Amino acid sequence: MAIGVVLILCLLVVLVLQSLASSEGGWHWAAAANYANLLTPAVGRVLLNSVELAAIATAVAFVFALPIAWLVERTAIRGKAGIVGIMLVSMLVPGFAYAMGWLFLLHPQIGLLNKLSAAAFGEAHLVLNVETLAGMGIIVGLQLAPVAFLMIAAALRSLDYRMEEAASIAGAPGAEAIRRIVLPLIRPALAQAAIYVFIIAFGTFDVPAIIGWGNRIFTFSTYIYLTTNPQAGLPDYGQAGALSVVVLAAALLLTVWTRYLSLDLKRFAVVSGKGYQTTQLPLGRWAAAAYAFVAVYLFAGIVAPLLLLLWESFLPFVQAPSPAAFHALSGMNYRTIFGDAFLGGLTNSALLMTVVPVVVLVFSFAFSWIGYRTRLRGRALLDGIAFLPHAIPSVIMAVGVVVLTLYGIDHVVRLYGTIWIIVLAYSVTWVSYGTRMTNSGLMQLHRELEESASIGGASTWAVVRVIVLPLIGRTLLLAWVYLVILAGRELTLAVLLTTPGNTTVPAFVWITWLNGGLTLGAAATVCYLLCLSPLIVGYSYLLNRTRRAGAGIAGAV
Amino acid sequence: MIAIQDLHHVYRDGPTAHAALRGVSVEVAAGEFLALLGPSGCGKTTLLRCIAGLAEPESGTIRIDGETVYSGRERINVPARARDIGMVFQSYAIWPHMTVAQNAAFPLPYRRPELTAAEVREHTDEVLRLVHLETLADRPAPALSGGQQQRLALARALISKPKVLLLDEPLSNLDARLREEMRFELRGLTRRLGVTTILVTHEQAEALSLADVVAVMDEGRFMQISSPRELYERPQTEFIAGFVGRANLVPADVVEAFGGTDGRIVVATPFGIVECATRRPRSAGERAMLAVPPEAFALKAPDDAAEGTVEGVAFLGDATDLVVRVAELTLVVKVPTSQAPALGERVAVCITSGSCMLLG
Repeated sequence: MAIGVVLILCLLVVLVLQSLASSEGGWHWAAAANYANLLTPAVGRVLLNSVELAAIATAVAFVFALPIAWLVERTAIRGKAGIVGIMLVSMLVPGFAYAMGWLFLLHPQIGLLNKLSAAAFGEAHLVLNVETLAGMGIIVGLQLAPVAFLMIAAALRSLDYRMEEAASIAGAPGAEAIRRIVLPLIRPALAQAAIYVFIIAFGTFDVPAIIGWGNRIFTFSTYIYLTTNPQAGLPDYGQAGALSVVVLAAALLLTVWTRYLSLDLKRFAVVSGKGYQTTQLPLGRWAAAAYAFVAVYLFAGIVAPLLLLLWESFLPFVQAPSPAAFHALSGMNYRTIFGDAFLGGLTNSALLMTVVPVVVLVFSFAFSWIGYRTRLRGRALLDGIAFLPHAIPSVIMAVGVVVLTLYGIDHVVRLYGTIWIIVLAYSVTWVSYGTRMTNSGLMQLHRELEESASIGGASTWAVVRVIVLPLIGRTLLLAWVYLVILAGRELTLAVLLTTPGNTTVPAFVWITWLNGGLTLGAAATVCYLLCLSPLIVGYSYLLNRTRRAGAGIAGAV
Repeated sequence: MIAIQDLHHVYRDGPTAHAALRGVSVEVAAGEFLALLGPSGCGKTTLLRCIAGLAEPESGTIRIDGETVYSGRERINVPARARDIGMVFQSYAIWPHMTVAQNAAFPLPYRRPELTAAEVREHTDEVLRLVHLETLADRPAPALSGGQQQRLALARALISKPKVLLLDEPLSNLDARLREEMRFELRGLTRRLGVTTILVTHEQAEALSLADVVAVMDEGRFMQISSPRELYERPQTEFIAGFVGRANLVPADVVEAFGGTDGRIVVATPFGIVECATRRPRSAGERAMLAVPPEAFALKAPDDAAEGTVEGVAFLGDATDLVVRVAELTLVVKVPTSQAPALGERVAVCITSGSCMLLG
């Protein structure tokens, strides 16, 4: 318990210290130089790039998420489980897989769609150049639409329909009820979702790394990666630290603001009734349009990029479908990747997927228990600390862990270069996700269920074992599967911590890609997706069956 | 059996604090049934939770059967699991992942570890028979109706034969008919078992019909502790008169001085000369408020009665409630349905019986 708190705090302290020092030629004070370096045009460009990408991504995510959430929660559209399933699957497929697929589709020279359009309308007519901030923003937006969807859907669901019915009874027409009642009531939730998506998009690594790297368009995460893993020279942790501290401060401010918004949400606390019947708008002739809209997302968000990924994985080098390309199809890549590096990556990823979720859940449950079931002083602060990593882009967590390990832990036990540094990084980062889920599990549990067991004479441990754990078992199961998938798909933390000895599959794919093995990377990704797909489908199914857990899960993505 | 002395409790939420109990003291004899009655937020549930050991008071003492389970000064706070109590929660708190029998038998391994498996089964059958659930023993608990869940909660509270039974608004989630049925059953059961019982409720009918002693609470203090009859007929304050008896407050002038501490005197009211009860000496001409229950009014021909307009009529079956406006007074008057006037009619109102109480 205390370990968790100490670790998270240590990471922050180390990060700040790091930003004040330089290790080049021995330790010395370099705060001025580190922070002054931030004022260079290059860093300014990176930050502007990140903001632009995040803004476009947030807008695109909302364009899809808002209508689909509304369709699922407020209309009588059929096949809701299928629609939610599409959103969940698209959220869980690793981001780098999409990014590769999109590059194959929309690269200015080799992208399939751009080639088709150039052939039809002439060289200058590209569908979209994905190697731009706008292009990457749209792709990140497509990827984050499910996150926004889950948060908005949860807000719409928790809204008491009687609020709207009361407006109708009062004589307000439908549109008026939405404008004057629904929107003001869910506005805090919308703002929260937007800020949350913005922060994730700002710190996103997969898309700018896979797509932007080739064209040297750096965003915050890829820039940090570049300074800490330079192609020439020594890693500059001082500058990475300084930049991280600045971004961290901004992210924390935004997050504090979202927490303030959620207080606002509580002020609006819409007393949820006991299983009230929801009124659902019949779509009538509009159903076809609604399905078409979802199909656009399904195709653009999942099918198109993954199909291209599959296609290219059978080719020696990237080429669009053509008679010549058909003849070149072979399983060559698949034979090549089954060497030591990929298998080692699989072993490491499997280990992470086994160990990390258990560690995270144990800590999360302890955090939640203290927060919601004890009257310990400072428990609110504890919850805040557990939430901290939520607000911190993964790349910052990774830099923090590297520095903490190299200059701290490694003097006690050697961690750097082993798989355990990755276990540490994942666990510390995801306790914030875990606590959101265990919190919601405990909140849903009526206190009297435990109190009656105490009255029955059971000790605290017996209450936890016999009453609490069985009753929140489903929440824990969902959280566990979710964390297993996270541990499998994570790229950002892995690439910053990886060394030849502890490569995970996503890191292996990234390194292969960086070294020019585009179709080889595609093949590795396809193999890995096949391994992960039972988990992804199983989780989507489970979550779909317990749609009510959606609110808790939304807080966790 | 239960002795509570000068109990204080404060809810703290960061910088804000709210005193829920401000020095309450009460004693409950063995086998007695005490009802804590009051509006929501008066502290009655907090008091019950303090007795159960689920909430920790600020100061004071609680003794159960001679054992000090809480003492602020001696820093004693026995946890709930070590107090000899059973409790029925407002939500019933039936565990949905267990069967009826598993729910009921839950306390036995902790409270009565000496029992063998066979004895546990015996006790469980017995307690389920007591609440008429013996045929449902193997049913999953969520399959029970509201009334059945309530009985199961009661069975679980009673199975270890605790000295004290605590009931937190146990009937509030039932529909009106079932509530009345359970009220009789609950009363019979606790009397038969001789268990000392404390009931929390905000419904005066429930408190008056179930309890031997009713303690009326408001803002964390006891306002009056007395038998149901005494409470109804001789409320000590306007609050109790209004909350318990729906009594009307009518200004009255004392006609004849009274020297004793507890007796009957004659007062003059806008509705004529009335004999009523008083608790303290009164001097002639003194003005006080008279608590008049709705059924103490009658409609009759105007001689010394006051005239008013019927502003509301609520048919209750055998009786009818009227809202009658007399000058600046708005009265609730209960009359036999056969005598009920129509809305808007002019009626003459007088006070008939002697079940009125001079307050203050």
